Amino acid sequence: MAWTNSKIFSATMEDVLENTTAIDLNADTINVALFDNTVTPSQTVASANTAYGAGVWAAGGVGDTPSWPAVGRPLVTPGVTFSSNVVTFDAPDTVSADATTDLASVFGCLVYDDTIVTPVADQGVCFNYFGGSNSVVNGRMGRGL
Amino acid sequence: MTIPILTTVRHWYCPNCGLTDTTKEARPHIRMHTCPKLRGLSAPMLPAGVAAKVTAHEREDYVNGEDVQVDENRRPVMSIVTTRDEGQDVVVFAPTAHARST
Repeated sequence: MAWTNSKIFSATMEDVLENTTAIDLNADTINVALFDNTVTPSQTVASANTAYGAGVWAAGGVGDTPSWPAVGRPLVTPGVTFSSNVVTFDAPDTVSADATTDLASVFGCLVYDDTIVTPVADQGVCFNYFGGSNSVVNGRMGRGL
Repeated sequence: MTIPILTTVRHWYCPNCGLTDTTKEARPHIRMHTCPKLRGLSAPMLPAGVAAKVTAHEREDYVNGEDVQVDENRRPVMSIVTTRDEGQDVVVFAPTAHARST
């Protein structure tokens, strides 16, 4: 198995609605960490296994410090909107920190909260499957979410 | 005493459709535009003076019900790659993640 889809973690949504976690998608630092095709993400894992560095996200990370570190690049001015019965979490496109980025075999990303420490540090919000392999050579990575 | 306020002006062009533009953003950024020569996709522009080609790449896997970016022919597009003499940039169109389980 490997990447097959893009999903919001069910456990995280439950934690937010039950006030188990104080995740604030508008105000917290939300990171985007890149991964190769060795991970098999699941929407239905427990809260602890949604986190960066836990579960399937403990290995397979792709990074190039400081251009796009393995811990990810932060979303700039993320926000939550509501329209036509759909709640959407979005942010302007994220770009690597410089034009000398080297990244190989990027298949997807984990979007997680880098601010919240308890009850789950770096709790995941969602994962996105890019649909194939993407690489950057001495250049810049840009990503629309 | 007059103090000049310096602003970084960057000039951009598209090698496919020929559009030119300028930006004054100080932070790292890529100027995007809807390119009529690249199947209507939102494509990056290049800094003036940089020779490169900009190409769209179709999704390599099944769509599998994903909310993917499509071009004007409804083909799923995974990324736009800018190939320069000394490197390669990529803009990835990440599918939208949904909360529903199916």
